[in-house]
Amino acid sequence: MKILRILASSVTLLSLLLLSGCLKIDQNQSALDPKGPVAGQQADAFYVTLYLTTFLWVVVGGAMLYAVWRYRLKKTDDPSELPEQTHGHPLIEVGLILFSTACLVVVAVPTLEGILMTKTLPEEYQEGAITVDVTGYQWWWAFDYPEEGVTTANELVIPVGKAVKLNLRSADVIHSFWLPKLAGKVDLMPGQENFMWLQADEPGMYWGQCAEFCGDSHAYMLFRARAVPEEEYREWLADLKAGPEVPVDAPEMPAHYAQEVVHGKKVFLQNCYSCHMIGGKGGINGPNLTNFAGRATIAAGWMENTTENLFRWIKEPHEIKPSNHMWYGVPMKTPGAGMITMEGLNKADLSDEDIHAVVAYLQTLK
Amino acid sequence: MANGTTTTIPHDSGHESGHEKPQRSFFGLIKRPQQGCHPVIDWLTTVDHKKIGIMYGCAALLFLIVGGVEALLIRAQLFLPQNDFVSARLYNQLFTMHGTTMIFLAVMPLNAAFFNYMMILQIGARDVAFPRLNAFSLWTFVAGAVLINLSWFWEAFHGGWFGYAPLSSKDYNPGMGADFWILSLQILGVASLAASFNFITTILNMRAPGLKMMRLPVFTWMTLITSFLIILAFPAITIALVQLMFDRHFGTHFFDATFGGKPILWQHLFWIFGHPEVYILILPAMGIVSEVLPTFSRKPLFGYPLIVMSGAFIGFLGFAVWSHHMFTVGLGVVATIAFSLMTMLIAIPTGVKIFNWIGTLWGGKISFTTPMLYSLGFIWMFMMGGFTGIMHSSVPVDHQQQDSYFVVAHFHYVLIGGALFALFSGLYYWMPKMSGKMMNEIWGRFNFWVMFFGFNLAFFPMHLLGMAGMPRRTHTYLGDMGWNVWNAWSTVGALILGVGIGSTVIQVIYTCFKGQKCGGDPWDARTLEWATTSPPKEYNYTRIPEIHARDQVWADKYGKPEEKSGPGVPEPHGIHMPDRSWYPLSASLGLFLFGLGFVFHNQNFLGWDHQLQMAFIGGGILFLSIFLWALEGPRGYHIHPEAD
Repeated sequence: MKILRILASSVTLLSLLLLSGCLKIDQNQSALDPKGPVAGQQADAFYVTLYLTTFLWVVVGGAMLYAVWRYRLKKTDDPSELPEQTHGHPLIEVGLILFSTACLVVVAVPTLEGILMTKTLPEEYQEGAITVDVTGYQWWWAFDYPEEGVTTANELVIPVGKAVKLNLRSADVIHSFWLPKLAGKVDLMPGQENFMWLQADEPGMYWGQCAEFCGDSHAYMLFRARAVPEEEYREWLADLKAGPEVPVDAPEMPAHYAQEVVHGKKVFLQNCYSCHMIGGKGGINGPNLTNFAGRATIAAGWMENTTENLFRWIKEPHEIKPSNHMWYGVPMKTPGAGMITMEGLNKADLSDEDIHAVVAYLQTLK
Repeated sequence: MANGTTTTIPHDSGHESGHEKPQRSFFGLIKRPQQGCHPVIDWLTTVDHKKIGIMYGCAALLFLIVGGVEALLIRAQLFLPQNDFVSARLYNQLFTMHGTTMIFLAVMPLNAAFFNYMMILQIGARDVAFPRLNAFSLWTFVAGAVLINLSWFWEAFHGGWFGYAPLSSKDYNPGMGADFWILSLQILGVASLAASFNFITTILNMRAPGLKMMRLPVFTWMTLITSFLIILAFPAITIALVQLMFDRHFGTHFFDATFGGKPILWQHLFWIFGHPEVYILILPAMGIVSEVLPTFSRKPLFGYPLIVMSGAFIGFLGFAVWSHHMFTVGLGVVATIAFSLMTMLIAIPTGVKIFNWIGTLWGGKISFTTPMLYSLGFIWMFMMGGFTGIMHSSVPVDHQQQDSYFVVAHFHYVLIGGALFALFSGLYYWMPKMSGKMMNEIWGRFNFWVMFFGFNLAFFPMHLLGMAGMPRRTHTYLGDMGWNVWNAWSTVGALILGVGIGSTVIQVIYTCFKGQKCGGDPWDARTLEWATTSPPKEYNYTRIPEIHARDQVWADKYGKPEEKSGPGVPEPHGIHMPDRSWYPLSASLGLFLFGLGFVFHNQNFLGWDHQLQMAFIGGGILFLSIFLWALEGPRGYHIHPEAD
């Protein structure tokens, strides 16, 4: 029979593929390439369920294929002869129920372990743990370090080998913080603070993404986590605390700055300052740009931080991210007055020279 | 009538009188349709469960194609990284409407088509308990379906079929799309509820003599359980939608965190409906498979009581696991553990069903007809969808898989590989009964293999995409994520699946006109629907048979003498058939205008500066129709098929 051969060969092939691991899943955002204890436990639990269900698939699927093959109507059969009209077998049925229950116990063990491990930070990870408050916005991330009093955006920096406690909040709609190689996702709910923790055991750049549908530009809400050795982390913090060489609201800049940068700071002050903070000064409706030039990406992880990309991003952000608030204005929720929209770049009418100048200015922020 | 004579009666009294003045509807404006009226009027006003079932089926296949085209547009966009085939907004509208369409306008009405047509025949009844209410369910479903698809001409909803607040609130979704979606779902809910009450009453009260509950065909059992699930689950979403509507228009702040509302409340209410909804979609499929497997194995269903009980158990547990859709929203430890373990528990009755289906095959004589292939394909893919379901029940695993493409793979294995394959199995199995014509076997098998191959190619790679970190509901992705190849194959698979489904729909239409004629029992089948002619006469059975066995038609052919059905008693005054009625149709039209009026509350409707006038007009029509409906009575006429 054709059906049997095709089904049998597909079972064999898929089982072999899965079991031999020749489908290697180690991409940027792979959940099966864990680099920390939380993601590690989650991957282990996945493999328990994978092996168990593969075993069941082979046994139950095999029984089905065998039955279909063994009891097919053969050409030599007398079609008028009926098979035995059996109605069931209580012992077999009860036995299979007990067998299913036993299989589920195997899944339940790593499940309970995982729940208890992630809901609070376990004792053994508490030493040297840091805290980061994560706030989700349409469509970017704010990372506050309450113990250090600093803020950054879209690029989380964490020390290797230390647990990071994350308090998750949302400023508008529901988002979800997902950093597959370090930890599975937890949602950012408006009006509710959620908790998760993670730890990177190896230095490196980890890719993350919003996993809860949050509107037009949901697909563009990416972020990175950069895990660095402890000393480097301390240095990064110190840099961030120090802020820019010239305060963003300073009336004048030292003479060694190029004319373009000086003009750029002026444009920034006029058009960007009310939403973006640099070195503790500015608005909070957009990403904090302190030490912006040190970041690898712009536009919430969507583009590399290059001069061309930055120019394009400021010139036509709505072409890159639909409904983008930098272009159309930030909608603000006010008790009483409902939603009001602040002015966006679409009203600012910046010239290409202005934009080049802002880019030059931003690139001095290291 | 081909055989027999007809008499009309004034009231549902059983007394015959030959020449009564025909009744008029709408205060005498229009004649109440009688026997032999124009075919269009006949179909619009029919109360015959078979015609209603066929209309449900046609509408479902139409919306299956609509939803399928939406799916293909989605896949076309994801064929390449950073593709700009559709805009982000349109993509979000497409996946919102695809989900809503497939669940509410394709799979549920396809189930309803078989409930309507087959369940009545399986219990040996002449019609449902409330024939006009049945027509009202159909037309109300059509009203909701038209309303939600009308939104494409203004603004289709782009908040997902799950409509999570606060994204669906006025602040973040100010357009009319959300209002279209809310009002349409409310109307569709009315249709489902009315139908479910009707089916429950019918199954409990109108079974043929001797047809005890534990002799009911499994498909009828699943109809009963599904109907109970609908009447228990739909009120939850009704409440949630009312609250969302109030939030959007009247400032109630149920879900608005800035004013102390709770976005998580929406999720609880939605999934208290949403999870039983999954079983509303899949239990009828399990019922169909439980009919097809015994027929083509030529053996009774293995462990009938256990299959029935596990169906009921699944339905019951379905209300205790909703929060497994919410493992990542931040629930407490105890709640998380409880919902996780309850979810695992559901694997047991589901496993029981699969074991018993294999037990049915075991020792049989299996012939690989098209319906059988679809049923075997169902078991295979439903099993895979079940296994990935077990994975999600494990919370640590779910933290990685939730809202990733792994979940998309999982529920398409359950809803296409499961529900749709079983429904197509039912389509091939029952088409001869409904049309009196056989579906071509070679064409059918071709469709099955195309669908089976296309489906697996489209959805298996999504498991890998999910584990490789691709989130759902993203209209684009970067090219260096390692997702390109699997996405491309998935799109190719979706296209092949589309060809298979399209070919099946064409075959259904072809068969209606050109199919080979068949007798009442072409499959040598087992249950009561095969005891009557194909297609059945409008009164279904000349005499209601007396039931003495579970698989009565099989027992009549091959059973012991004491298992054979009794001859039944002829109706003393002939078979009473209720009259057609305008009111179900007009009541649904009123409901449609009522909904449309609310959607266009303070909006411009085709140049009309509309306030709420249309809602008042629609409400008036609805109220008046129900009022007149209550007064007109079923009336009807008598058929004497045995008079010749």
